[in-house]
Amino acid sequence: MQLPLGIRWDQGADLAGFVPGSNAEAVTAVEAAAAGDPVPVFLHGPSGGGKSHLLQGACRRAGAVGAASAYLPLSQLGEHGPELLDGLEGVRLLAVDDIDCIAGRRQWEHALFHLYNRGHERGTAMVMAARQPPAALGLGLPDLASRLGWGLVIRVRTPDDEVRLTVLRTKARESGLDLPEKAARYLLTRCSRDLVHLLRLLDRLDAASLAQGRRLTVPFIREVLGEPGATRGGHTKPPS
Amino acid sequence: MQDSLWSHCLRQLEREVPDQQLNTWVRPLHAHETPDTVRLLAPNRFVLDWVRDHFGDRIRELLAAVRPDDPPDLQFEVGSSNIPTEPNPVASQQSARAPEPRTAQHNLNPRFTFDTFVEGKSNQLARAASMQVAENPGIAYNPLFIYGGVGLGKTHLMHAVGNATLAARPNAKVVYLHSERFVAEMVKALQHNSIDDFKRHYRNLDALLIDDIQFFAGKERSQEEFFHTFNALLEGGQQVIMTCDRYPKEVNGLEERLKSRFGWGLTVAIEPPELETRVAILKSKADRSGIDLPDEVAFFVAKRIRSNVRELEGALRRIAANAQFTGRKIDLEFTKEALRDLLALQQKLVTIDNIQKTVAAYYKIRVGDLLSKRRNRSITRPRQLAMHLAKELTTHSLPEIGDAFGGRDHTTVLHACRKVRELIETDARISEDYDNLLRTLST
Repeated sequence: MQLPLGIRWDQGADLAGFVPGSNAEAVTAVEAAAAGDPVPVFLHGPSGGGKSHLLQGACRRAGAVGAASAYLPLSQLGEHGPELLDGLEGVRLLAVDDIDCIAGRRQWEHALFHLYNRGHERGTAMVMAARQPPAALGLGLPDLASRLGWGLVIRVRTPDDEVRLTVLRTKARESGLDLPEKAARYLLTRCSRDLVHLLRLLDRLDAASLAQGRRLTVPFIREVLGEPGATRGGHTKPPS
Repeated sequence: MQDSLWSHCLRQLEREVPDQQLNTWVRPLHAHETPDTVRLLAPNRFVLDWVRDHFGDRIRELLAAVRPDDPPDLQFEVGSSNIPTEPNPVASQQSARAPEPRTAQHNLNPRFTFDTFVEGKSNQLARAASMQVAENPGIAYNPLFIYGGVGLGKTHLMHAVGNATLAARPNAKVVYLHSERFVAEMVKALQHNSIDDFKRHYRNLDALLIDDIQFFAGKERSQEEFFHTFNALLEGGQQVIMTCDRYPKEVNGLEERLKSRFGWGLTVAIEPPELETRVAILKSKADRSGIDLPDEVAFFVAKRIRSNVRELEGALRRIAANAQFTGRKIDLEFTKEALRDLLALQQKLVTIDNIQKTVAAYYKIRVGDLLSKRRNRSITRPRQLAMHLAKELTTHSLPEIGDAFGGRDHTTVLHACRKVRELIETDARISEDYDNLLRTLST
């Protein structure tokens, strides 16, 4: 089966596994939405704070009680056209991610505005996320900005190093890897500290450790990252 | 539900399919099961095609694995469960702050009534007209056309008329809908050859409340259909209420005949609420949600959030949620903290520079004129207005504002502010200019 766009670390993005750090309020709000609270939640903050994780975790939580949900990462759905949003208000929980990507794109803005209205009328729970808060998104449709700002708007802060460390080590443990604290700190100090990037690195290290039968020690990590391009961000391991 | 064929299938797919794909494409599906068929309903054609192409075979395999002797038939269709979202325990506990699902028939929100509408100078005309219409539907003003910027309460008033009409005549056929829904239903009726039913339905209403008619712009077939519906209703003495983000004549992409007919009844504007109304709105919303909001907090929020009611509600929601989360008492200190992000954003957006540019553009003069020593009326009035706006909208001190206006003394700024406040009370033209500028700068 051909599965494009598979981002492996997304697997297992659930709410229970989210390390709240300074984002406990956001977690609480998303949990309420996942349980069906129709007050819309809007999360904003830079990449790497865990917004996408929270949105997908909410979908998984809703799915666990048999409720239909939809995760809509607008950054990746552009090729389909805004008609993709038709009829989606019929789910119990809507999770719309990367809203910044459609700012200024008239048809998408209109489609999202109408989806929001239809969802709101039906009492559909909604969680949305973007890098900026609604008023700073640069939306061409003031009606949309105003509606997005009506719900509970919460800033998601990027995790501090301690949270990053916990997340990295937990994720490693979940994959059956032992990432010693020293090695984890090495990653934090030598690489981009964006969690999304770090988790992709962990995937690389996982594969390398498996292939070479070696443990995740600092020398080994240094060796793996020493490869050309190893420390650059934005590289996704192809789905296995 | 847990033991249905589909939920079994879904649990298996959860193990096989990356989360993101599952969440985007598979979780939105609704399943209808009969003893020999599993019908998967997708919200639209795109989701349907994607799921069928990528997972169709696998789902069939999984279903067959559950019942190898008698594998159920798998069908894909576009559709929805048609079960309105059930009220759930979380929502009812928090009903004071949660929107309620509306009754399918008329689609009115029971909480949007005249009682819950806070009256102020900015909306009293629209409110009075709406009350008249509610008392004498089809007679007082027909159509009633309410226009104004986003988040000012147009929809609330419209629902209030609908609710009042139903309270007086429970059997009245009242329908509220957004113009987009009208368009979507019409398109669906055309596709299903049921346009006559569509026409009959809308032409037999006692009152049609249609929101945001600016979204009809550029949709000619929908305008045509709406035009006929509109005429039929008006001729039959049935009430039509419309809202729009601007004056009918200013909507681009709307046919002239529609624009002119929209003005046949009464056209009323809703303006952004002034400070006292903003405070009253906050107090009233807080009251109804059981939030203890001290006066000084209400004033603090109302002074900083000026553009519209929806934004005030967003701020109040933020304060209430944060207070509940932290268990802290709502006071000024707490509120400043809870709204820090929101207020920082506003301060970032409104700068003296921005104010000068906006005012100059509004009066069609140059920013240089505002900073110059020129003293003719066509320059001094805008300059004084800009200074007053700078004092109201930024946190700069008076000497700083004076400096930014070509190195003027702070007493000049003080004088300008006094003058503008006086003119706002006595000169309708200046008052309107000021409101327009304030709205431009704070939305």
